[in-house]
Parts: sequence; C-alpha cells; structure tokens
Amino acid sequence: MTKTSTKKFGAWLTLLLVTTTLLAGCAKDNTASTPETSEAPNTSAANTSATEITFAAYSNYEKPLTKAIEAFEQQNSNIKVKLDLAPYDQLMETIEIKLGAKSKDVDALFVDSPLVMNYSVKGYLEPLDNLIDADAKKEWTPSAVETVSYQNQLMAAPMNSSSQVLYYNKDLFQQQGIPFPAEDKRMTWEEVVALAKKLTSDNVYGFSFEQISKAYQMLALSDSLGVKMISDDGLTSTGNSNSPGAVKAFQFYSDLFNKDKVSPKIKKEESLDYFTSGKVAMYLATNQNMPKIRDSGVNFGVTLHPYFAGQKIATPTGAWNLGVSKYSDKKEAAAKLVEFLTLGEGSKIIFEEGGTLPPQLDLLNAIDSDPKYGEFPNTVIRIAAKESRETAVPRPKTPGYLEWESNMNKAFDDIKNGADPQKALDNAVSVIDNQLKKYQGVAAK
Amino acid sequence: MRSEKNIGTILLFLFPALAGLVLFKLYPILSGFVQSLYTTTFITGGRSFVGLQNYISLFTDPVFWNSLKVTLLFNVIINPLQILLAFFLALLLNAKIKRIAWFRSVHFVPVAISVPTACMLWNIMLSPEQGVVNSILAALGLPQQPFLGSSSQALGSIIAIASWKGVGYWALFLLAGLQEVPTSLLEASSLDGASRWKQMIHIVYPMLKRPLTFVVVSVTTANFLLFSPMYILTKGGPENSTDVLMFESFNNAFLYSDLGRSSSIVVTLLLITLTIVAFQFRWLKTSH
Repeated sequence: MTKTSTKKFGAWLTLLLVTTTLLAGCAKDNTASTPETSEAPNTSAANTSATEITFAAYSNYEKPLTKAIEAFEQQNSNIKVKLDLAPYDQLMETIEIKLGAKSKDVDALFVDSPLVMNYSVKGYLEPLDNLIDADAKKEWTPSAVETVSYQNQLMAAPMNSSSQVLYYNKDLFQQQGIPFPAEDKRMTWEEVVALAKKLTSDNVYGFSFEQISKAYQMLALSDSLGVKMISDDGLTSTGNSNSPGAVKAFQFYSDLFNKDKVSPKIKKEESLDYFTSGKVAMYLATNQNMPKIRDSGVNFGVTLHPYFAGQKIATPTGAWNLGVSKYSDKKEAAAKLVEFLTLGEGSKIIFEEGGTLPPQLDLLNAIDSDPKYGEFPNTVIRIAAKESRETAVPRPKTPGYLEWESNMNKAFDDIKNGADPQKALDNAVSVIDNQLKKYQGVAAK
Repeated sequence: MRSEKNIGTILLFLFPALAGLVLFKLYPILSGFVQSLYTTTFITGGRSFVGLQNYISLFTDPVFWNSLKVTLLFNVIINPLQILLAFFLALLLNAKIKRIAWFRSVHFVPVAISVPTACMLWNIMLSPEQGVVNSILAALGLPQQPFLGSSSQALGSIIAIASWKGVGYWALFLLAGLQEVPTSLLEASSLDGASRWKQMIHIVYPMLKRPLTFVVVSVTTANFLLFSPMYILTKGGPENSTDVLMFESFNNAFLYSDLGRSSSIVVTLLLITLTIVAFQFRWLKTSH
C-alpha cells in the first residue's frame, strides 16, 4: 500500500466509525425497551415488542406528567408512552389537525372541560365506559363526572380541576407601607383597583391576571355580574355575550389597562415572569402556579379571588380531562394510561408534583383533613378546593365552545388594547353565531 | 421520424418532473376544489355534497369580505414596496466598491433566518412594554407606539417585518440580472451623453425584464399566501385588521372544523392570485 492510499483508507475508516457511532446513538431510543420486554416473562410471543402510545399533552404539566409516566412504564413494561407536549393554543390546534384528519398519531389526549362536548360531537373521542374500571365514576366528584359525560357516556376521565387565588408580593406591599390583605377576607374589585393604583409605580404594575384575555379567567368578571354568556341550547351568543352586563364587566377589564393603567399589556405567557420578578404586585392566578412561585423565591402571600361589590362571588374553574382517540389503534393501552393518571397512583403523583386540584374524592378528603394543607403555602390548595366547591362557575355549555372561546379571546385582547368593549363584543358574537349554526342539529346536552 | 422515435425517451426523462407536477401541484388543487363542494357531518365524521353552498355562504359573510379587503390592502402595499426596495438594494449591492462581498453577505442574513424565528425576534423588539424599538423611541423623546397591539399599526408592522425578511432574497435575483448588463454598453452610452436615468430606462430596465418578471410574480404569490406572521404575531387581530384570507382559511379548517368553507376560501384566493399574475405577465411581456 502506498502512503496516500493508507491515508485515504484511514479517512474512510474514520468516516465509517463516526457514522456507525451516530447511527448507534440514534437507534438507542428505539431499542431501549426491547430488553425490558423480553425480561417480562408473561408477555405473549405476539407481544414481544412494546406498544408505543402517543400522548398529546399540555406543556405546563411536563414535570408531573414525566414523573407519573415513569411510574406507569415501570408497572406496564409492555407500554411505552411518547409524550407530545405543546403550549395551550398549539395543543388545541394539534388536536384539531390530527384528529380532524383521523390520524392515528394520537392515542391519548388532554381534553379541556368545555371541549368534551365539542370533541364528542366531532367524533374525536372513544367512549370510556367499556375501557376503564366500571366503578370509576364513583371515585370522582359528581360535577367532574357530569362534565365529561355526553349522552350518558363517559367521553373522558377527569384528571384535575383548578381555581384561582390572589397572590401578592409582600416586599412591594411593605415598600409602599400597605398592610397585607388577610388570607380569609375577600376583597372587592373596587378595593383591588384602589390598592393597585397605590402599588403602581415606574417599574411596578399593581395588578395582573395570569391568563390575560383568556375566557377561563375573564368569565369570572361577567359571572360576578350574573351574566349568562350563551343561550340554553348553546347555539346563540348574541344578546348574551354582548349584553349590557357583559359590556360592563369588560369595560372594567379595559379600564385596568387603559384608564387606570395598573395592569401591563403583556401576553399570558409573560405574566408569571412579571410576578416572580417583582414587576407585578398582585397576581390573580391558578392554584397550580404555587409550586413555581414558591420555587422562584419571591416573598409572597395569598388571599381570596375578588368580586364586584354587592354582586355575586364567582370564581373560575376549569379542568383537564384525559381522553382516548377514536382513531387510535392502541385504545386499550391508551385507556390504561388514562386510568392510571386519573384514578391510579398517577393521579396522586400529578396532584403532589403539580399542585393541581384533584377531582378524586379521596384526594379531596385528604386536603381537608391532612394538617399539611393547613400550613402556608400549601393552604393555597385548601383555598382552591373550598372555592371550587362553593363559588366556582363552570364555563358556558355549547357544542361550539372552541368557536366561542377563540373569538371571545380575540375580543378580550382587542379590549385590552383599547377597543370599545361594546363594539368588540358585538363583532365577536356576529362571528360566533354564524359559526354555531352548523351545530343546529346537535343537542347541547 | 426521428422525433417520433425519440418521444418515448423524452417522456421517460420528463416523467419524474411530470409526475411531481401532477402529484404535488395539480392533485392538491383539484382535491381542494372537490373538498370545497362538500361539508362535514357531525358525529359520523362523513361528508355530504352541498354544491356551491360553501361559496354562497362565503360571499354573504361580512367576515369574508373584511378578510378579502385586508388581503388586497396588504398586497397593494407590500408588493410594490418589496419590489422597489429589492431593486434599490440590488443596485447598491451591484456597486463597485471595496468589501462589497461583505455587504452582500450581511444583506442575506435576514433571508437565512426562518420566518417563525424572525417573527419572534420582532415580536420581542416591538413589544409595547419592554421592546427595544420603544426604548429607542423614548430615548429620542418620541411617543411610544403599540405596533402589533394597535389596529392601525399592526398591518404596517407586519409589512415591515415581512419586507425586512423578504427583500434581500428578491434582491438576489435582480442583482444577478444587473450583473448581466454589459459594462461596455453602459460605457458606450455614457460616451454618447446618456444620463444615468436614461441608461436605467433604456438599457438596464429592458435587460432586467426577465428577472423582474420572475420577482414580480413570485413576490405577488408569496405575499398572497403569506400567513405565518399573522398566525404567530397577531392571530388576525387587533380588531381583525390583519385577518388575511389564508389565516381565515386556517381558522375555518382547524378551529371551526369547516373544511369545506376553508377550501372554498383557498380556491377563491387561488383564482384572485391567478388573475393578478396573468395581468402581470401581460404587462411585463418581453418584446422580443
């Protein structure tokens, strides 16, 4: 061999080595499950390779879900879960795109409560009655079971619920010499605005919502004024979503940004950072933000959700449920995961890791009796549990919730940016009602 | 006789391209048109034939008309703007100065960035709360602007972002055209006393017609179908001021689960674009 050809050969060898190493690295993911399965003695010959199911989930739940799925895979060595995480808006779109195209890519999925009916009507969900434990319904709160039922069938399994508390930054209150609000005294919106004005300075805003311009949180304003957003049959929003009460509620929302200027004109995704970095003094947010706020090190306190003076006390509630796709090839495996996360050990992991409010009766009872939840900041969960029983108002019931919500969210955002509330709501209802027409043949119950 | 013999070979060589054309261009158009004649039925997930019903409901819907108006307004501004800017950029990049290669690479940087990245970048810079653009305005003693948060500025902001991103790319084709113009021709004409303007009209423009036609047509189709900035930055808002037809079509398909309506919007958009492009071809027809 000549010198040059040795050199050439060496170069080829290096290339070959690099390629094989890379390929081996890529292949690792796929083969990792095989030895585990072969160790399990009771798997049948046809079932030697693990079933991989895809789980379309909300990215906010990454931490608790990863932990719960680890536990699930340990118990079910023949099932592997591929977690497909996306932020809220993208998750809704992923589900529409994939299930709308009858794709087999999704096996289990997150289902927002008001969308149970929408997904059922569109035929996205496999009824769970025969797939999970028949006694399951008894283990959840009746209201949670009602939410996930459509035409007497269980369309999804409730995983958790939520409520809101008013977090505040103790340091910012002290700087302005303002006494801390009492944990068990509910302030009125008028009091909150007065406080917020005192707390607003060059670099600090007095108050912010967590889910800025999102129906989940905005509804608490109109609910407090007793506004019904949609007709009983779920098909008309005109006269409801743009009624004088609704306009009054969202004029208040507009004033926070445009007249009193106590709230920052930011996006929902930025709101938590604004609070944890001390740019917002009072922060109305879901209970499951507590672990993140606690870990950020901000010196915080909590109090109850505000209401309009002399009006009804109304707090938001919303829940995530888990469903099995009708188009999945692996419904049994997916249902197993759903069961584990909503009834089994998984539900406990999600509750403890995520700080979410459970719909399982035994976990709710534990919150009431366990002294652990009497100590701050774990009290947040106890407050939320109480609110969800006593003051929570569910979101409007309509098969076209997705249409209603996305157009109302747009209107809320326009109002935030200074649009006239009456005009913004009028525009929204005209679009919504046009879209709701197509559900005329579908019952709202 | 020879050509008859060759026709098989010719077809064989053309087959991959023709197959691609049919599979990826003609079939989707046809399938979109068929889709626009159907509506999805609930629960069963099947579909039923409704004829032109989707088009009729579309043309009686103010949302569609607003969207059409926004699309046309957007294109009437952005297309001439991008073509002019691309042309001036190409002239600058064609200048015979030192380190021109360096300028040519700098101008290409926005083109190399992906659209979503560019959108996120500008979203942060244009933020009414802490954006760098507003900080600069404040430092200059000018009033701060809401940009994407205002119904009167959002479309303009998107036009600016899209042009920042796109102009460099189109300038590349015009630059290639400019370099084809023989210097000897320009030198000769200047000896004859032709002004720069005259040179531009009588020498550069006619020689640039081919790349210009390509750029004009491509810019038009690209902008009629532009969708990601509206999707990422404004979601069609504020107050529907950036609700272009492509975005409306996306909403109908993936939010309102109305594929029929969505397809009828796309077909309408296709017809509008085709008409305009046909006019552009006639207008820019090379005269040789």
